[in-house]
Amino acid sequence: MYPRPIPQTARAARALYVALVAAILVVWLAPLLAIILTSLRATNDVASGNLWGWPTEFGAVDNYERVFTQSPMARFFLNSLMITIPAVIGVLVLSTLTGFVLAKYRFPGGRAVFAMFIGGNFLPAQIIMIPVRNLMLTLGIYDTHWALIIFHVAFQTGFATLFMRNFIAALPGELFEAARAEGASPFQTLRHVVIPLVRPALGALAILIFTFIWNDYFWAVVLVVNDTVKPVTAGLANLRGEFVSQWNILSAATVVVAVPPVVMFFLMQRHFISGLTAGAVKG
Amino acid sequence: MPKLQLSRVTKSYGAFHALKAIDLSVDPGEFIVMVGPSGCGKSTLLKAIAGLEAITSGSIVINGRDVTSAQPSDRGIAMVFQSYALYPHMTVAENMGFGLRMANRPKEEIRVAVERAAATLRLTDQLEKLPRQLSGGQRQRVAIGRAITRSPEVFLFDEPLSNLDAALRTQMRVELASLHAQLNATMIYVTHDQIEAMTMASRIVVLNAGRIEQVGSPLDLYRNPDNQFVAGFLGAPRMNFLAGTVEAIVGGVATIQLAGASAYAMPLRPGADLAPGSAVTVGLRPESLTPTDGAGIPGTVRLVELLGRETILYVDAGPLRSVGSDTGTANLTVHVASAVAAPPGAAVRLRFNPDDAYLFGGDGLRTLSAPKSI
Repeated sequence: MYPRPIPQTARAARALYVALVAAILVVWLAPLLAIILTSLRATNDVASGNLWGWPTEFGAVDNYERVFTQSPMARFFLNSLMITIPAVIGVLVLSTLTGFVLAKYRFPGGRAVFAMFIGGNFLPAQIIMIPVRNLMLTLGIYDTHWALIIFHVAFQTGFATLFMRNFIAALPGELFEAARAEGASPFQTLRHVVIPLVRPALGALAILIFTFIWNDYFWAVVLVVNDTVKPVTAGLANLRGEFVSQWNILSAATVVVAVPPVVMFFLMQRHFISGLTAGAVKG
Repeated sequence: MPKLQLSRVTKSYGAFHALKAIDLSVDPGEFIVMVGPSGCGKSTLLKAIAGLEAITSGSIVINGRDVTSAQPSDRGIAMVFQSYALYPHMTVAENMGFGLRMANRPKEEIRVAVERAAATLRLTDQLEKLPRQLSGGQRQRVAIGRAITRSPEVFLFDEPLSNLDAALRTQMRVELASLHAQLNATMIYVTHDQIEAMTMASRIVVLNAGRIEQVGSPLDLYRNPDNQFVAGFLGAPRMNFLAGTVEAIVGGVATIQLAGASAYAMPLRPGADLAPGSAVTVGLRPESLTPTDGAGIPGTVRLVELLGRETILYVDAGPLRSVGSDTGTANLTVHVASAVAAPPGAAVRLRFNPDDAYLFGGDGLRTLSAPKSI
């Protein structure tokens, strides 16, 4: 049986397990820790090679201030939000609609459509890079927020549809029959029955998609060039060229960039409620 | 005017015919119970009436209006599901008012309808609770309340009590019957539980393989089944079926030789199409068989079920042959209306009154014995 009660395993094995967890944690978190520590140091310390020792001077406030005053990070940050938030909303809306239809309605070609949503995920970005760039040029939205928003919505909806379809398919079928028998239209069923019950899925999906899009670097480089539309990921790369010796500021900027996905996680956490469908069926 | 009229209702999935030309007419206020083995099409028929399944051909008329291709919500029906199918995120009141809310009825009207239904079902104190806070019986009542608030022409029940424990089921059975009397509503009820069928129905519809085998009052079906299927389906423990041969027919009475036992004279129904020498099936209700000290069918007790006020004996009756049994010997079920101490292995003799026996043609499709009084 797994998991086994703890006392059943040997003492040595238990110690090894704890040590291993600790070791992996250190390796896992070391880069993050290095960046956080560096972001707190003053330029002198970083330049003189005092990277791990006690800093001679704390530069935290100064560093973080300079991220926003002496670099275009504020602009990049705003761009990222302007791209990510509409894209996440677009993905959630579309995938809820497609997931609902694919999960609960049978129609000719339904399976083919579903297969396409899944198959689309397997297209390597490198292959569609040029066509997508050309498409955006043709549409006249290359190097605008729209290029990234539309691309991310299109590309993430495939995975999100798979996710939502499976979640909605797991809802008891009789709920839908009951709603239909009571005269709810498909839209009313979606609004009053499906959405309240898939809230945990929507929350989880929102975090995933938000993180995917926020962290995307590839398409940020391919589809936009101008600083006024660049998101943070591409912007960070810019900083490195400009402040080649100022690792403390670059680190501070990196920390700032890493914050929104974490905030997003805590915002969405309250939607992770298990057993939402309890009481729907059976006794 | 009938409340519900089904004419030649057929449902096919490719080559498979789930419903074969079903004809049924239901009068206002009737409590129709549809029974049948798993896969007989009873749930499909109910969903076809509800409009959740489109039918292949035929017509469905509710209250004089042809609703064959109408949406479920436009048919004047309300359905109670086996699993209750309550909306888990809505309170009891919201659940019960959902249909009216979807129809954009005024808030006040919804509130009144919900409160009236809740009062009928003793749910007034539960209105603000969520389904998960309720017991199984209460959830079932909410599901029924949801149907009541819509004041439908016809109530449809799909095995509504099968998820409840035995005690609660008995109680809900009584409540449903009194609710039916109180609302004077037309109800169609699907179940595989024959006790529910026998106790609640004004008429029972026995379905088998997509076809109606027989329609009639519970007692009528029990006493005068049209064929071997209905005879075997209604009644627990099940009727015993024994192989026999017609020896002679004289003046509407057939002499039947039971394999390995003596001959019995059984009255035939008028027009029974039977010739000497043909194979027949003799049906004996467990309560028609009685242990006796005198002459009778010899057998050995295999198992005894002492139920207190009654006893079920399972008897191996060596020389007899059960229909459909490949063991060669007959296993008779005997119901005795008192406590009987008969240890397994004991020898018994069984007798029966030939007038209580049923006679079926060799194919089991027709009952040949004379009708019995109810």
